[in-house]
Amino acid sequence: MSDPSSINGGSALAMVGKDCIAIACDLRLGNQSLGLSNNFEKLFQFGDKTFLGLTGLATDVITLSETFRFKNNLYELREERSIEPTTLANLVSSTLYEKRFGPYFVGPIVAGLHSKTNKPFICGFDSIGCIDFAKDFIVSGTASDQLYGMCESLYEPNLEPEDLFETISQALLNAVDRDALSGWGAIVYIVTKDNVTRRVLKTRQD
Amino acid sequence: MPGLGFDNYQRNQFLSAKGFGQPMATSTGTTIVGCKFKDGVVIAADTRATAGSIVADKNCEKLHQLAPKIWCAGAGTAADTEMVTQLIASNLELHALAQNRQPRVITALTMLKQHLFQYQGHLGAYLIVAGVDPTGAHLLSVQAHGSTDIGKYQSLGSGSLAAMAVLETNFKEDMTKEEAMKLCANAIESGIWNDLGSGSNVDLCVMEVGKDAELYRNYLTPNVRAEKARSYKFARGTTAVLRESVKNILDIEETVINFTSTADAMEVDA
Amino acid sequence: MNGIKVDINHLKKGEVNLGTSIMAVNFKDGVILGADSRTTTGSYIANRVTDKLTQIHDTIYCCRSGSAADTQAVADMVKYHLQIYSAQLPPNEKPTTQIAANVFQEICYNNKEHLTAGIICAGYDAKNGGSVYSIPIGGSIHKQEYAIAGSGSTFIYGWCNENYKPQMEKDDCVQFIKTALSEAIKWDGSSGGVIRMVILTKSGVERLIFYPEEYQK
Repeated sequence: MSDPSSINGGSALAMVGKDCIAIACDLRLGNQSLGLSNNFEKLFQFGDKTFLGLTGLATDVITLSETFRFKNNLYELREERSIEPTTLANLVSSTLYEKRFGPYFVGPIVAGLHSKTNKPFICGFDSIGCIDFAKDFIVSGTASDQLYGMCESLYEPNLEPEDLFETISQALLNAVDRDALSGWGAIVYIVTKDNVTRRVLKTRQD
Repeated sequence: MPGLGFDNYQRNQFLSAKGFGQPMATSTGTTIVGCKFKDGVVIAADTRATAGSIVADKNCEKLHQLAPKIWCAGAGTAADTEMVTQLIASNLELHALAQNRQPRVITALTMLKQHLFQYQGHLGAYLIVAGVDPTGAHLLSVQAHGSTDIGKYQSLGSGSLAAMAVLETNFKEDMTKEEAMKLCANAIESGIWNDLGSGSNVDLCVMEVGKDAELYRNYLTPNVRAEKARSYKFARGTTAVLRESVKNILDIEETVINFTSTADAMEVDA
Repeated sequence: MNGIKVDINHLKKGEVNLGTSIMAVNFKDGVILGADSRTTTGSYIANRVTDKLTQIHDTIYCCRSGSAADTQAVADMVKYHLQIYSAQLPPNEKPTTQIAANVFQEICYNNKEHLTAGIICAGYDAKNGGSVYSIPIGGSIHKQEYAIAGSGSTFIYGWCNENYKPQMEKDDCVQFIKTALSEAIKWDGSSGGVIRMVILTKSGVERLIFYPEEYQK
């Protein structure tokens, strides 16, 4: 509780399925126990099939989302193509490590499909940019302990997009219900090679 | 632009003073070892990364490449070991290119120790550096403050005591490659079982004089998760959805090029 | 900081410490340096076969005590300075021990706020023969006939004072150092391992090593 990254609350989660990925977050923004907003999305899209999730101190979430939007725009102008998930991961890592001795209080996650091969990729970071490459799922935020528990039990590899949606949604929903600082709505993106589906979930509002 | 920024430092100090402490950075907890053998050197590491008491990564990579035949195992703050290792790897390659020579282990070590000393221990990187170069096989270690040690066998990290116990009892001069690999794997396993900060698998890297370095990713996997007896798959439609929007990415554009027509066959000699 | 009371014994958390018993002694033909081989992090022995006798130039060595990182960094700097300096010297001339010791002193003094380094610099040069300089924490310099330093040295001040003789024979000097260090190792918890020696004379460098089963008798 006495940690800047748990002042505003919020959680995010990403999973790999069969030729697809899913990334989800809650919508709460609070000040300690006081809820302020139920419309604070923590997922940001880069190109067609890549997403960045940012949990932690809200001021840093906004600052970084703008920083990465800026850096991504420059990247797209220079390269004349959209950024790959792995490239974004390295960009996030070096941007965070630049502030090694005065970190942003965030727990970013990256999920996406490679633009050409459509190979799924997910990863997570600590606040100073150490990349956690995972093959299955990545959790982040104030409900991360609960999310670890949910994902370790619910997750199974090679889920079809529709099944992956149910699994990631249930993992997130049930985790945030046991976290006072997360919840107040949830959003899930399912990314396949053909389309990106955005679903707003029905959640508890307490 | 170059170097590290301290822009947030004052804000974070203020936050600390208000009672909001620092978040836990990912630590590699870690058991890492290295051991020399007859004509080469082996290093090995476990694969657990921790954030406090949470296992952040069950199969992370702690063996880093500094040069094709110089590898290092890292313990301490995960981000620091990774970044310091990447930086030195880059500089070492530039150095090798400029000198038109294979990089030496002692060069890598000197660059690492001078960098870490400059940061007075604030970069929490504890490394075992090993490799082969034109002067032979080498095994060295660097600590966060910039001190270095030489030895025929070494261990670092929270599991270093458990690993050192194995190394001290079983190390022999002039072992074969296989014996050295076995010894290092045993030392790491001792860390995996007896140290809470270490776990999961054993990664191993062999560097032999006159040969390419060999990385054995997950050389031992003594902690394979048992397959789930039953599936937790939810019935589709379990989750209540308020709104849905779909964005199609693929506009399919199809052009068929026909190769079967014999009329277009290429004339080889007219 | 009031200028008088300075916490010189601070070590940064987790820093590698050279607990140490080190000494250097002038004798008839030159100088002999001796050291134990233990480095510790807290109560853990990080290295039991450390070489604390570091070459600075052909026949100039130093014994290091205090922080391992600091003393290695300082030794590397002095080594570098002497390389540049000796390249500018006429052929067949080598830097004197005095020059080396003064470079040590300058670095230790200028950075005393940041360093935990107690160094004995000793060497043989054609002009002065063997000489011993002690550069304790703070960056002062003391030319001595023999010098002892490190945490283990406190136990052997009396013994050394009683048994040191000027212009000893080589074997007597080796025995003197061996006995002194074995006592220091016996009583000091942060000293231990083997006893290493370096003998610097006009004929060059000779290294000796004594294992516990020998020196403990």
